[in-house]
Amino acid sequence: MHRKILTPVAALAAAGAAFWFLTGAEGLDAQALASVEPGDAARGERVFWAGGCTSCHARPQAQGDAKLELAGGLELTTDFGTFVAPNISPDPDDGIGAWSEADFANAMLRGVSPEGAHYYPAFPYTSYARMETQDAADLFTFIKTLPPVSGAAGEHQLSFPFNIRRGLGLWKMLYLNEEPVLALGQDASEALRRGQYLVEGPGHCGECHTPRSFTGGLEKGKWLAGAPSAEGNGIVPNITPDESGIDSWSASDIAYYLESGFTPDFDSVGGAMAAVQANMAKLPAEDREAIAAYLKSVPPRPNGYPASQ
Amino acid sequence: MKTILLSISALMISAAGVAAADDPIAVRKALMQATAASAATSGGMMKGDIAYNPAVAKAAIATLNAVSHAYGDFFPEGLSGENSTASPNIWEDTDAWQQALSKFQIDTQAAVEVSGKDGPADLASFQAVIGPVLSNCRSCHENFRVQTN
Repeated sequence: MHRKILTPVAALAAAGAAFWFLTGAEGLDAQALASVEPGDAARGERVFWAGGCTSCHARPQAQGDAKLELAGGLELTTDFGTFVAPNISPDPDDGIGAWSEADFANAMLRGVSPEGAHYYPAFPYTSYARMETQDAADLFTFIKTLPPVSGAAGEHQLSFPFNIRRGLGLWKMLYLNEEPVLALGQDASEALRRGQYLVEGPGHCGECHTPRSFTGGLEKGKWLAGAPSAEGNGIVPNITPDESGIDSWSASDIAYYLESGFTPDFDSVGGAMAAVQANMAKLPAEDREAIAAYLKSVPPRPNGYPASQ
Repeated sequence: MKTILLSISALMISAAGVAAADDPIAVRKALMQATAASAATSGGMMKGDIAYNPAVAKAAIATLNAVSHAYGDFFPEGLSGENSTASPNIWEDTDAWQQALSKFQIDTQAAVEVSGKDGPADLASFQAVIGPVLSNCRSCHENFRVQTN
């Protein structure tokens, strides 16, 4: 009799313990952090524009210098609920002014908060995980030079089970790793490698341009093939060199688009990409050319979204 | 002969009138295509793909100016759908939409003034006025267009 009750209880306890064990938040190892040189703000600014930090963390619709005030507040409305971008200005109370460099690197590259909690992957650390730790250190140094802004942004509004942060530990086991998405050949040029780094890492292009499975992980077999918009409004285009993608664009067309916002037939950038392109325009020309070289080299894929959308 | 010409032109005007009333989506698309063509000409000259020519610059500015004054009239309440990439924001945030239309007009007006009788004298003066005009493409499409294909 007791046995009958105890067994499910024990099983539940064991499952609970396993869940707890598997879902813990793991930061970078000490060795990776120890090898980092002191951060350089000028290099960090380049990472800042490549990473598009301001597009989510500045106040919505911020223009000009206001883009450097990382007060947060932008709301991303998704199937999982509404995510609110936090204040990441160097304010010690409401922003990240009291963080250590290791705190920042763990947040960026592992999606772990200074308190050891998981961040939601609306913050695209699954891409940032591919970044060099040094770039995170440089970025942190740059962000510390920006104006501190007081006032915390709102809380996420998520429904069950997505409001259980601990569950993200399982999700991270599936989707978080620092391996490149594509394997480049030994003979890949420096520009191609730089382009891969920018697109797959800080640029986090795949987070919007690649479709996701129902669990919210990227379908890497449809890498950059376009996807329904996560915010349920239209689509994000296919940027592979397929007929349905941007095969007709030359590498210089792609670089010009990232610089000027104009497509080869002089349609203009729009939607969420407008802010991304404004960031890309601030990179050195060689970075835009590197991105173009990489996009010309990825496997062509048919559209990653249904025709009706 | 004169009568025939007159009736033909009357026919063309009325045909255009019918088209505009019946199919505002087609009209606003045609206006945007004219804009894209003018942007292409302007961009080509700025990139150096096309030699700078003041008369061509003037034609581009005049087209953009005409579009800026006409464009807003072809968005009747809620008219979007499969053939359109118009965002619902156009009707949900009318103040911002009107501001965007008005900024486009102000910037093209400034270009028209510099353009004068013969077009902007040189590439630098053209660039100075066409840059702000073309920046309207992005700012407007950022908030008022939905990508659908």
